[in-house]
Amino acid sequence: MIELKDINKTYYNGQPLHVLKGVNLEIERGEFVSIMGKSGSGKSTLLNIVGILDNYDTGEYYLDGKLIKDLTERQAAQYRNRMIGFVFQSFNLISFKTAVENVELPLFYQGIGRRQRHLMAMEYLERLGLKEWANHYPNAMSGGQKQRVAIARALITRPQIILADEPTGALDSKTSVEVMDLLAQLNREEKMTIAVVTHESGVANYTNRIIHIEDGIIGKIEENLQHNSSVFATNTIIK
Amino acid sequence: MQDLFTEIWESVRRNKLRTALTGFSVAWGIFMIIVLLGAGNGLMNSFNQDSEGFASNIMEVFGSQTTKPYAGFKEGRRIELKKADMELIAKRFPDIVDQISTSISRSGFTMTYGKKYYNSVTLAGTFPGQATMERIRLYAGRFINANDIKEKRKVIVLTHLSARNILEGDTDYESLIGKRVKVGNLSFKIIGVRHSHENQNDRDLYIPFTTSQTIFGMDDSLDRISFTFNGLDSEEANEEFEKRLKSALAGPHQVAPDDEGAFWIWNRFTQNLQMQKGSKALQTGLWIVGIFTLLGGIVGVSNIMLITVKERTHEFGIRKVLGAKPWNIMLLIIAESIVITAFFGYIGMLLGLGACELMDNTLGQATMDLMGQSIRLLVNPKVGIDVAVKATVLLIVAGTLAGLMPARRAAKVRPIEALRAD
Repeated sequence: MIELKDINKTYYNGQPLHVLKGVNLEIERGEFVSIMGKSGSGKSTLLNIVGILDNYDTGEYYLDGKLIKDLTERQAAQYRNRMIGFVFQSFNLISFKTAVENVELPLFYQGIGRRQRHLMAMEYLERLGLKEWANHYPNAMSGGQKQRVAIARALITRPQIILADEPTGALDSKTSVEVMDLLAQLNREEKMTIAVVTHESGVANYTNRIIHIEDGIIGKIEENLQHNSSVFATNTIIK
Repeated sequence: MQDLFTEIWESVRRNKLRTALTGFSVAWGIFMIIVLLGAGNGLMNSFNQDSEGFASNIMEVFGSQTTKPYAGFKEGRRIELKKADMELIAKRFPDIVDQISTSISRSGFTMTYGKKYYNSVTLAGTFPGQATMERIRLYAGRFINANDIKEKRKVIVLTHLSARNILEGDTDYESLIGKRVKVGNLSFKIIGVRHSHENQNDRDLYIPFTTSQTIFGMDDSLDRISFTFNGLDSEEANEEFEKRLKSALAGPHQVAPDDEGAFWIWNRFTQNLQMQKGSKALQTGLWIVGIFTLLGGIVGVSNIMLITVKERTHEFGIRKVLGAKPWNIMLLIIAESIVITAFFGYIGMLLGLGACELMDNTLGQATMDLMGQSIRLLVNPKVGIDVAVKATVLLIVAGTLAGLMPARRAAKVRPIEALRAD
């Protein structure tokens, strides 16, 4: 599904900063993985590259067998729209649009008609138990609700992969558990490929494979089918 | 399309005051353009109205003073046009000269009709050709004809103002035809009443040329020769012809052929051309002033859109992440800019048209007395549909330009940078 070969990325903001130093990584279809690392380890940069939000300097990145390199903004937008669903720490909902309008947005950029868009968005909100909140603005919702709206928005285009950047970072531990359970359920029942970036071991523990990244290179990769990698945080998330 | 308008409405609604202030400067710009052009048109119409009712291709030749010594004469000799000159002009330039006429006039007569009088009347002896040349409109009777000339009849064509005067305000001009009127010591038979341009010093009472020669005691001298002409379409052609005409007249009067001063030519055609040029220049000037005023508004819109782009960078980032192409973002900004300029511009245009209407009803009706003529300062100070269309196109172009720069900036920001922005 995702194949990274010797990816290098350097930022040039004053002092050159070599963030990714030859990353090699494969994520198969239907996997539920987490990318763990401290802040500054390059995990967010890696996620941005995988999400085609940023480009890389050298190496090769294949998404669903297609080489993603030197795309125009227009092509990148299309790939993001069709293949990738994003979930962010800060939700990134548009504040002056209602929940359902936020969920509709990716379909709007696919050129899908108003009525059909609305029907589909309502369907997804209903699946995530937010039907009654469809016409509320994000400000009137709790963090957990907002994140579920964001997940509905990520799912609506039936993407190949969901990329979640610290999806529980702004949530309390109870809602964090709910959100991670939801992601795990999506992976289990719908065979959705999901990659979660986190620095919390409790969050990583929900995933089936944990990829450690340190100083811009992939470190240890743990199989975690038993979900017992975090001794302190089995079945919970410590904040 | 509906989605686009929803987006624009949402954005405008969030920034009501800011949008209204920007809109005001755009509306003001268009308002100024419309009002300035309306006033300009009114001024031009007022000029043009004065020349209405005359043939536009008319030339008049007057005798003047020589500026060069020639054939034993000193310079500064007065030249008097003769009847023979008129025949010479007609014969020499048959292709160009159409109708030719002349008149001699004397003023200071008193006209009496029964017990009514009318002071300081000007009598002008002329030919039948004058009627077509000056596009004389008759209210009653007829103009001077060939027999009047041949028989030196004492007949007269009154102006409608003098006729009204002796009728004590009545306008039954028909009743005057055939009656006799006394001018000076002589009695004339009224044969016609013509329309005169009141604010143009157009007050001559016409009598047959031959009659006037006798009355004024003149041999065959003329005050002026006037003729209509064809085939001189440009200013250069007219100038060239005037030179040829002067040198043709030079021979019989023993004037140097290149003496430009001996005859004086007045040419309505070139005068009109110059006036048209002047009116064009005036209009261009007003457009420029208006456009610069509008430009202020446009800069305002551009500014607002820049701020909008800055404020909405994060939102645009989200949209980009969700698959918005750069064009989608640009469209959002440009469309908003066009909608703001077009909407407020339209309001400005309507107010401008209203102001023109108001101007027409107030200033437009006011008259001014200038050198004995009453002049309406502004005549019909309005703009045509063409200006409205031009202004609309201008608005849309301006709106696009105002939106373009901010839109490009919005489209250029990379999604991750946009997401980081607040």
